[in-house]
Amino acid sequence: MDLIIGGAYQGKLAYGKEVFSLSEDDIFICTPDKEPDFTKRCLVHFESYVLRCIREDRPVEAPLRADAVIIADDIFCGVVPMDTEIRLWREECGRALTALSLRADTVTRLFCGLPLRLKG
Amino acid sequence: MTIFFSGGCKNGKSTLAESCACALAAGGPLCYLATMIPHDDEDRLRIRRHVAARAGKGFTTIECGREILTALDHAPADATFLLDSVTALLSNEMFRADGTVDEDAGPRTAEALRELAERAHNIVFVSDYIYGDGPLYDEYTELYRRSLALCDRTLAAACDAVAEVCIGQHILYKGALPL
Repeated sequence: MDLIIGGAYQGKLAYGKEVFSLSEDDIFICTPDKEPDFTKRCLVHFESYVLRCIREDRPVEAPLRADAVIIADDIFCGVVPMDTEIRLWREECGRALTALSLRADTVTRLFCGLPLRLKG
Repeated sequence: MTIFFSGGCKNGKSTLAESCACALAAGGPLCYLATMIPHDDEDRLRIRRHVAARAGKGFTTIECGREILTALDHAPADATFLLDSVTALLSNEMFRADGTVDEDAGPRTAEALRELAERAHNIVFVSDYIYGDGPLYDEYTELYRRSLALCDRTLAAACDAVAEVCIGQHILYKGALPL
């Protein structure tokens, strides 16, 4: 499993598509109101799946493929939000992605379209 | 040579950018592209601090809050530029004095910056990293973030060296700094 992390609009998906030769059919865009299709190789906006889990009050469990490419926005920087749900989401994203990074073969952070390899 | 810096606020981006610009100029003409159009006392104080920090470093200041390519008409062909900041330039291009919002400012400014990087002899760009928190912004703030990211990615692709500045240190993503 490979993990790509970074701020909003930093070119994470474009990088993932290029490096892992992903086609449009490989990609699932996560939203809070829909269960991800874990048979897809690449899950984008994984942080939105974390928000879905928060709203349904369940642990962030993801039956990922061995060759999965997980892409997430690092929404856990910035000021502690006043809103309870957003605050829990922010913290849970940090935990969930830290746990994923332990399992990941590679971890890459994108900065202004440029990759920095953090692991692997 | 072209260099792009971004990072958190008050983390030393301008100081590092000034040092790089001075090194690149190597005694030749050095131009500071001042992009902020002051709106209040806080802006004026910020500008005074930047002016004081640059004093004695040999910069000629060119005020250019919009239409950044016109700055090239006011500098020698072999000038080394410091553009501080992409953030303020885009803000001026997008949020107009008459209160309207130019939604096409992002692609237009990104293209102008790419051309500036191509035409300038030496140039150092400074931007701001505003992408690491939750997407809880209104429509126009989100448009601004998306547009600034386009400018940043365009410059990061075009420039010879790219670094993220963090509390006075830097992480190099591309090339090498002239220090």
